[in-house]
Amino acid sequence: MKNNVIFFLGLFTALLISWAGIVLGSNAQLGKLAPYYDDNDSTSYPQWLPGVAAQGQLVYRDLGCASCHTQQVRRPGFGSDQARGWGERQSVARDYIYQPAPQLGSYRIGPDLTNLGDRKPSAPDVDDLLHLLYVGAPGMPSYRFLFHTRQLGVGAQASDHALSLKGALSPPAGTEVVPSRRALELASYLVTLKTTYDYPEAVPLAAAPKEGEK
Amino acid sequence: MKAEYSPIDRASSVPLILLLRSGVAWLALSGVLGLVAAAQLISPHFLDSWSFTTYGRVTALAETSFVYGWLANAGVALALWSLGRLSGEPLRGQGWALGGWLFWNLGVLAALVGIVHGDSTGFTLLGLPRYVHLVLLFSYAALAVPGILAWSGRQRKISYASQWYAVAALFLFPWILSVVHVTLFAWPARGVLQPIIAGWYAQCAWTLWIAPLVLSVAYFVVPKETGKVLPSYEFASLGFWTLIFVGGLTGGRHLIGGPVPAWIPALAVVSCALLLFHTFIVFLNLRGAVFARGVASRLISIGLAAYILGALVDAVTSFHSVAEHTQFTYFDTLQQQLALYAGASTVLFGGIYFALPRITGNLWTSAGLVRAHVGATVVGLLLLLISLGGAYYVQSQGLLDAKVSFATITAQTRPWLLGAFYAQAILLVGNIALLVNLLASACWITDFSAPATFNPAPALETSAT
Amino acid sequence: MSQKPDNDPRLDQAAASDDAVLALHEKAIGEHPDNGARYRLLPIFILFTLSGLILFAGTYLNRYAAHYSPLVFNENGKPSTGEVVVKIDPVALGKKQFEAVCITCHQATGMGVAGIYPPLAGSEWVNGPSKRLIEIVLYGLKGEVHVESHVYSAAAMPVFGQVAGSAYNWNDDRIAAVLTYVRQEWGNKSGPISADEVSAVRKSMGDHKEMSEDVLMASK
Repeated sequence: MKNNVIFFLGLFTALLISWAGIVLGSNAQLGKLAPYYDDNDSTSYPQWLPGVAAQGQLVYRDLGCASCHTQQVRRPGFGSDQARGWGERQSVARDYIYQPAPQLGSYRIGPDLTNLGDRKPSAPDVDDLLHLLYVGAPGMPSYRFLFHTRQLGVGAQASDHALSLKGALSPPAGTEVVPSRRALELASYLVTLKTTYDYPEAVPLAAAPKEGEK
Repeated sequence: MKAEYSPIDRASSVPLILLLRSGVAWLALSGVLGLVAAAQLISPHFLDSWSFTTYGRVTALAETSFVYGWLANAGVALALWSLGRLSGEPLRGQGWALGGWLFWNLGVLAALVGIVHGDSTGFTLLGLPRYVHLVLLFSYAALAVPGILAWSGRQRKISYASQWYAVAALFLFPWILSVVHVTLFAWPARGVLQPIIAGWYAQCAWTLWIAPLVLSVAYFVVPKETGKVLPSYEFASLGFWTLIFVGGLTGGRHLIGGPVPAWIPALAVVSCALLLFHTFIVFLNLRGAVFARGVASRLISIGLAAYILGALVDAVTSFHSVAEHTQFTYFDTLQQQLALYAGASTVLFGGIYFALPRITGNLWTSAGLVRAHVGATVVGLLLLLISLGGAYYVQSQGLLDAKVSFATITAQTRPWLLGAFYAQAILLVGNIALLVNLLASACWITDFSAPATFNPAPALETSAT
Repeated sequence: MSQKPDNDPRLDQAAASDDAVLALHEKAIGEHPDNGARYRLLPIFILFTLSGLILFAGTYLNRYAAHYSPLVFNENGKPSTGEVVVKIDPVALGKKQFEAVCITCHQATGMGVAGIYPPLAGSEWVNGPSKRLIEIVLYGLKGEVHVESHVYSAAAMPVFGQVAGSAYNWNDDRIAAVLTYVRQEWGNKSGPISADEVSAVRKSMGDHKEMSEDVLMASK
């Protein structure tokens, strides 16, 4: 290669092509993706996350929860996503348009959380999740730095969301373990994770012809 | 016939040694952090009492110091070194390189502090908090100045493959980083566009930045050590342009089955397959490294084998039917280690072993430490890849069967992850050996008037086929 | 120096100078030696490999890129062409509407509340002529109503249709769906009601005021 200018132009063109193709191309397609208005429900989907949940998504991101949990359900026939009850349909681009920091994740060291707020038969509530965060689980660390122990006034009632802990974990008498604001945000975020609305583009394909022949 | 030692290296030694030292120091740090993360996979409650030692943050810290600390510093140092040598003159604009070195490393340090505080962006290969991007952008541009000057001021009109790869890596990275800063942070894109752009960045950082840096080292050191003209060299430029044009299109590789339009992973499948052409040319050109005897050649041939294997694995796993098994499992870790450690780092190790005596004018201080590092790297890598492979297999079988609980999967993968932990420990020991040896060897610069240990390089004509 | 420099791991010796590397590779690009007029297979092989890969790339994108549609997520899928025909199961939609709204008064059992909200299960109104039923939902119902010879008078049925003074503004599809649902639930065995029937009633009656039992019985 002799000509410096042509060499740099070549490099730049190559980068430009991939930028235009992937960044610009997908932005042109999905950048203005509108929510879906359902005439029968007189509502548009997806709905905005409540403020506390949007905050919780940032807590989720900064603690790196996405290192172990995904938030994307793949279509039927792609792994055991739906058999595990992670969601009744695949995740689509529209699910994420209002999220400040979508957390698709790339590892499943723990379960998928896309539809955690709508788990069957019973979805966890904020207090269940706070308890899980405090205690941990096999394969999951605990997040006790998100909680603090404080004195309970004589005869005072336990605070809202104070953890009910048993055995060795229970705090000394006269004290209670309460979640910090960040813990509450995180738990409130997790219970809002629901993909209950079926968008037209999320409808699975009719069985592939290959399978039909069997 | 020019002698193998030259005043060119002496005149350029200060920024190069600084870059290499800080690079290896970051490598050791990332080894410690990687070890902590590996321990947390075995016993999740290890160090879980502080927010900054959460598994998510520790992995982001390890990755950031590995990529932006180690690979960037060492890769740029070796690229500048080979560009300088091939230009036939001492590096010009070294002040830029010194400033760039200082601010780049301050930027990486600030990034790590930021992640400790919870400012990680959560994207793969892009954990850098948004406020360090501009510092890294400008300091990298400053680092690139001597390299670009050396290239444009070269004595021969026609340039050599090593120079193309080095210049491409120096020139392209600032553009990639600025695009991603604008579209993800300054005016953030909505929804799934964020993971799409982050995936594009991660693949560009690999194919247009790290891989070219690594290949520029390999293309320079291999003919120097084998003393032979690279076979099929006339196709090298075809291989180069294939990487540059196709590499950036592999962005959707990890998004198959996810909530992104089907054409993005389909394009990645096709691009990964086309990249095999590049890999094939690299194999044709550099296969002679296997037969050379030096430490550098041995490490570089291991690295190139991993690079080629990694490209094959990337191509195969981008298909739907394979991705169904490998996606979201330890196989992703395996692929990352295969590319960034077994592929890139091993070649850079080789480059460092070849370059440092020439830059300082000293032999490496300890032959034992060299052997220890090479041995630990080989053993550690084998153990790491085998363990991650086993962990992947067990995890994948468990994930595919909806009846197997996560507690069961955790218990079943544990022995394999223990192997990965030991592997990380062995690699860390090797890297500490490298760090000690490097600090000892590079703490003074010998006067080049009497470097008796260098054999004069024979002319290539005699041995060329 | 006492060691044999070639084997010393502390220093890799170079077998070629920088100049030689540059010069010879420059030559390697420039000249294509004849090799004794032998046919060289490698360039042809490389050409075929590259063309093969490009052919594969084109074919694969053509087949699995879903025509670059933004809303197709399955690589086997095709973008929907023209009008999207979405088939809605009226019973499922009706059930959803019923459970969202009607259930508060008529109850999940369809039995209503004695003396206040009339039952739907087994009711002669629900299982009777469809026009009368449509009118009740479209325009609401005020005053006394007799169901299975019990009197209900304490509550009024709100206006659901897209008519003046409507509280719900349900479209005809939705009304048809909810009526179809109640006519086959709780042991009811009457036929479905189509949206066209609802539209026809709404158009012919215009902005009618709220119904009463007498008006309904008279209209037939």
